[in-house]
Amino acid sequence: MTVVDTGLAGEYAAIHAYGTAAVHLSGAPRDLAEALEAEHRDRRDALLDFYDGHGMEAAPAQASYDIDPIGDAEAAQALLLDVEERLATTWRAGVASEEPAEREICLNMLTASAEALARWRIAVGEAAAAPWPGRPA
Amino acid sequence: MFTTRRGLLVGAAVLATAGCTDTPVKLIESDADLTALLRGARSLASAAESLGYTDIAADHTAHIETLERLLLPNVVEEEEAAPSIADAAALAEAESEASGVAREACLTTTGDYAVLFGEIAASRAAHAAVIA
Repeated sequence: MTVVDTGLAGEYAAIHAYGTAAVHLSGAPRDLAEALEAEHRDRRDALLDFYDGHGMEAAPAQASYDIDPIGDAEAAQALLLDVEERLATTWRAGVASEEPAEREICLNMLTASAEALARWRIAVGEAAAAPWPGRPA
Repeated sequence: MFTTRRGLLVGAAVLATAGCTDTPVKLIESDADLTALLRGARSLASAAESLGYTDIAADHTAHIETLERLLLPNVVEEEEAAPSIADAAALAEAESEASGVAREACLTTTGDYAVLFGEIAASRAAHAAVIA
């Protein structure tokens, strides 16, 4: 399994998480969640194009994902922030690839993850800045 | 430490052999990518601080500290005239441009710094996204 495979699996899971969690949100956080869900769908499509372009077979999304019950908006935001942090860590690992096309798409995804994380942090009242996006704590 | 003349001479020979003398350190050639990213980080840190984006300035300071450490023993002098970044829109544009520099470094480096350059590119892009 390549790092792009892992990242694609993460993007599938993120789309599912947003679809599950966004209904618990309202106002600006809901708008942000819907916008980011759309961005994750775009990223999934870009990844599927990457597989097509390199003559590779992409794994499909799972039929379902195991997500703990979401009780309220705070839990929904925490889940989505966690999803974005995990994705950033996955894509950061891929930037180390020695294969140029793989490094490039992983960098594109890491950059998008960092932007999404910054937007979420602002939405939950945290400082948006982060010097090392995706670096494990 | 060296209590006799003989001891002093032996000690001096040992120190000279070990390179512990007053001879100036010969600097090796700087890594061009590290240097370019350091200069960009200094400029952005200064601009972010002056515009009140202290947390973003702190990110750039973290980048500066890491890049300066990696460049040792070389020391990249501060540039005298930093480009003028007068407002948030200009800072967002500068962050975006600097992200592009780091991105290019990440994609073209054959060294060990691809991940570091990628992190800096992503961090700068995130700054641009939230300032804009």
